[in-house]
Amino acid sequence: MSDQSGTPGAAPGGTGGRTGAVTLVDQGNLGPRTSEGSSFFGAVTPIFRFLYSLISKNFGALLLALIVLSIFGTFLQGGATLMGNQIKNALVLGAIYALVAIGYTMVYGIIELINFAHGDVFTVSGFYAIFIANTLHLNSLATSSFGGLLLALAIVFPLSMIAAGLTGMAIEFVAYRRLRDAPRLAPLITAIGVSFLIEGVMLVREGPDYVTTGQASWINGTAFTIGKVAVGYTDLFVVGTALLLMFALGAFVQRTRLGKAMRSTAQDRTAALLCGIDINRTISATFFIGSALAAAAAVIYSINYGDVKWNIGFRLGIIAFTAAVLGGIGNIVGAGVGGFLIGLIYVFGGSLIGGAWSEALIFAILVLILTFRPVGLFGVEVTTRA
Amino acid sequence: MVKPTKGVLSIASIAALGVLAACGTTSTPTSSSAGATGIAGCHGTITVASDMPLTGGDATDGPFPAYAAQLAVTQANANKLMGGCTLKYISKDDSTVLKNGHDPAQGAANITALAADPTVMGVVGPFNSSVALSEIPVASRNHLALISPANTNPCLTAVVAVCSDPTIAINTASLYPGPHTYFRVIASDVQQSEIDAYVAYSVLKAHTIYVFDDQEAYGRGLALLFMKYYKADGGSVVGSVSLPGATTTFSTQLSVAQSKGAQAIFFGGTTGNGCGLVRRDMGSAGMNIPLLGGDGCEDQLFITNANSGAKTSEANGSYATSAPDVTKLASSATFFSQYAAAYASLPAPYNNGTKEPYTAYGYDAMNILLHAINSVLVGNGGQPPSSSQTFRDDVVAALRQTSYDGALGHTTFDANGDTTNTGFTLYKVTNGAWVGVNTYAVDTSGNVSVKS
Amino acid sequence: MSENGQPVVAIAADTTTVTDKVIDLRAIDVYYGRVQALIGVSLEVRQGEIVALIGSNGAGKTTTLRTISGLISPRKGQVLLFGKAIQGVGAAQIARLGVGHAPEGRRLFARMTVRENLDMGAYSRGDRAGIRTDLERVYTLFPRLRERDSQLAGSLSGGEQQMVAIGRALMSAPKVLLLDEPSLGLAPILVDAIFEVIREINAKGTTILLIEQNALLALKTAVRGYVLENGAVALAGPSEELIASPDIQRAYLGM
Ligand SMILES: Nc1ncnc2c1ncn2[C@@H]1O[C@H](COP(=O)(O)OP(=O)(O)OP(=O)(O)O)[C@@H](O)[C@H]1O
Ligand SMILES: [Mg+2]
Repeated sequence: MSDQSGTPGAAPGGTGGRTGAVTLVDQGNLGPRTSEGSSFFGAVTPIFRFLYSLISKNFGALLLALIVLSIFGTFLQGGATLMGNQIKNALVLGAIYALVAIGYTMVYGIIELINFAHGDVFTVSGFYAIFIANTLHLNSLATSSFGGLLLALAIVFPLSMIAAGLTGMAIEFVAYRRLRDAPRLAPLITAIGVSFLIEGVMLVREGPDYVTTGQASWINGTAFTIGKVAVGYTDLFVVGTALLLMFALGAFVQRTRLGKAMRSTAQDRTAALLCGIDINRTISATFFIGSALAAAAAVIYSINYGDVKWNIGFRLGIIAFTAAVLGGIGNIVGAGVGGFLIGLIYVFGGSLIGGAWSEALIFAILVLILTFRPVGLFGVEVTTRA
Repeated sequence: MVKPTKGVLSIASIAALGVLAACGTTSTPTSSSAGATGIAGCHGTITVASDMPLTGGDATDGPFPAYAAQLAVTQANANKLMGGCTLKYISKDDSTVLKNGHDPAQGAANITALAADPTVMGVVGPFNSSVALSEIPVASRNHLALISPANTNPCLTAVVAVCSDPTIAINTASLYPGPHTYFRVIASDVQQSEIDAYVAYSVLKAHTIYVFDDQEAYGRGLALLFMKYYKADGGSVVGSVSLPGATTTFSTQLSVAQSKGAQAIFFGGTTGNGCGLVRRDMGSAGMNIPLLGGDGCEDQLFITNANSGAKTSEANGSYATSAPDVTKLASSATFFSQYAAAYASLPAPYNNGTKEPYTAYGYDAMNILLHAINSVLVGNGGQPPSSSQTFRDDVVAALRQTSYDGALGHTTFDANGDTTNTGFTLYKVTNGAWVGVNTYAVDTSGNVSVKS
Repeated sequence: MSENGQPVVAIAADTTTVTDKVIDLRAIDVYYGRVQALIGVSLEVRQGEIVALIGSNGAGKTTTLRTISGLISPRKGQVLLFGKAIQGVGAAQIARLGVGHAPEGRRLFARMTVRENLDMGAYSRGDRAGIRTDLERVYTLFPRLRERDSQLAGSLSGGEQQMVAIGRALMSAPKVLLLDEPSLGLAPILVDAIFEVIREINAKGTTILLIEQNALLALKTAVRGYVLENGAVALAGPSEELIASPDIQRAYLGM
């Protein structure tokens, strides 16, 4: 969980049970391993190296240029209205990706696990929100008056978030804790198993179809119009809430005791232990918060789209994971920014070259990051196992 | 078509299939050859079967035509349609737990098992085109008649322009290693898309359209055919996109459609793959233009999905063509009341045949098969042909000569085994339900006319 | 080793009062997987002492400290802290009991500031006033850290990092401080300074167990010393006696 970037110097490794060495990967030194054997490769290699380091060093700029170009292309294609509509679409999607991406990044940051079940926690949270709203009759409350809406939101957000947080903690406790010092592949496979398990349970419980949440009617109407682009209150709500939560999380991680415990555990678990930090509690808390943010995303999703489905978090999760990698996995701010960038790429890529390519584009980006800039746009330490 | 999966299986209702064979009905089939005096001396056993997805996600659809087919057999037995011969009925389920519904591999295994029984003379089924792809070659190789109540994929019977599209990739010729033994009592997506194109251009008066499909054989095929006929009608396709079935939001493409001035949206695909969600997102984007889909969109789930967004009237302005609303046909009234009487003890919705568009198709398909068998017996001096293969070949030949008046009206088959009894009803969402507007028929030269 | 293979000085018999022993290792065996790192190590540190732990690379010095801190558990033998057995007590809990540990390799929180690192040292303390006093004390001991307090720890020089590591351990107001090679990689002048601080800390009442490659410096600082060889205690005794031992002189003091 990084808040800063590009820290030079290395924190030597060898934690508790992990035999890893933590090194900061310098962007310039990331070139492909090359053998200087043959004269042909000997001659060509420097060029590759040069190109590689050029792309690798300017990855962020290149990506940004690509996004700006595609926005401009969309403008040429459909004018300001299309461009504006797509920016709106991208921000709405991006806000949801960002919140989910943060959960991936927090967990990765602290236990170096790609928590494949995170997307499914999103799904489950959507159903929690439905259950909470229906049980407490929040749908009629939310549509009764503005005050009623605020009250309903003030109920459904914390309750869903707590339920999801506890779910995340339970997953960590049951599935990952014992494997904390096992080879990395073990918890990864367990995570996939947990993901399948959740999806199976959701399929049986909720059926194979979309389930209407009934929350789409909570927020309605057009807030303002820019040109011909109508910005709805829902759009403002989605983006606003996501930003608010992200800043709240940022402050939490920066300032609170628990936040500091989380950051220090992520940076050096052994040192955190020596400072008297209860690692289990801290990791539990990380799962709680990450899952709670996924739940917030699910509530937002439910209010924006109005329906959820047993496997809805699967693809969304993978895309959000890409956002986390883009921002530098382990880096909270990076995940937030990455979410919005992925939203832009998804929407403008889809708008320009056809929606069938949106996901392919996202995964192409994933491959490119992993090749050229595995530390992500905002850099964070990369831990390699000896 | 590819049915959207829904619901879970009802064990009780499936078990009831077997029990019901014992219940007799007093009604008479509508056919004229019911007397069957010349075949009173027939001896031997004749078996017919049905193959439908009965469990898993398909449990809400497949059992209906299976019950209807069984009813036809029960009635044939009551009327001694096979004279002195014993008429048996086998019900096969092509769903698997693995697929949570219809499974092509299971379908092929079912037909293989049925074909191995020399008394089996024909099968009513399958329900899904994907299953048909694996069953047709087995049936063909074994000279076994296969009559589908619900397959609408055009490439199953004839090569049309879209069959070579990578998402469809059906080599029609390779489906028939033996004789062409496949028939269907439902019109194909060629006719459906011709009617869709007509509806979009001439009924909804949309001269520009944006087309979605769900990347699956049914949806993509329908969309491609639709675009072909829509352009032929004079319409302009302003854009099209294939999106995976798991797509959860369509707003990006809808913004594009909006900016290109689309006057309507066409969705080739199923509700499970997003038809209703497109309508939902159209509402959020404030797009007040019609959405048109095929039979994959015409279900309750569409309305639920469409209305799940903020705008509660989104489902209004939604159209879909689907199997003709046979419940309204005068010819089907007797059948539905017989069905209700025979299956009164089944749990809802299986006790009401009108709850599924394909129920009457299953009934007519089985009756057509039974009457073809009957005509072979009659033509053979009241006895089954000596060899099983000859019998089967004779049944297929008799099916080609079909001229049957049943619940669906008058059915004959063309050279490809496709029904000439075409017709699709245009449905419109009105006050939270699909309501039939008009039924259209299309002739062989592509002229669409209002049938009812 | 003496000629007859016995330690020059017998390990002190268990005669003092229990409460006097801050650390008391009793014949511990420690394994990393199947590799045995400590073989029957017994060691004690009394209230107010500075005790040095010396030995060649891989002898098991770090392992000893890690065992005391609860980062690793002995398979055999007993660890007593402040007279109590700590079987099954987690490392975090041990830290809260009053064991400060500046580990091998410093292990700072590289992406936190100097100040945040120091704060993390005081993580389990509630006494704000005490924390402020101790922070002031650390800044007094290492004036350099005050200047750099908002710099990221990862970007500090090696010596500065060592100061933070010691400072962080001090911030927990430990009763006993475990220092693992505090002079590693430091310029000679800084080494002296660090050892000066160590004596100062000890003078203020903190018991210290010290690992140091510079055996002479370590023994001069400590009252007693232990020599580890291949995971076992080879020699133990008062510093002057160890310094005087010809074996030690040959093996560790380069004389
Ligand atoms: N995590 C580990 N896994 C396996 N073996 C280990 C591990 N850590 C230490 N060892 C082994 O245990 C033995 C003791 O190591 P330790 O780190 O305690 O030595 P040390 O005396 O501190 O050495 P140095 O002076 O080099 O720091 C060594 O042989 C080492 O290889
Ligand atoms: Mg060491």
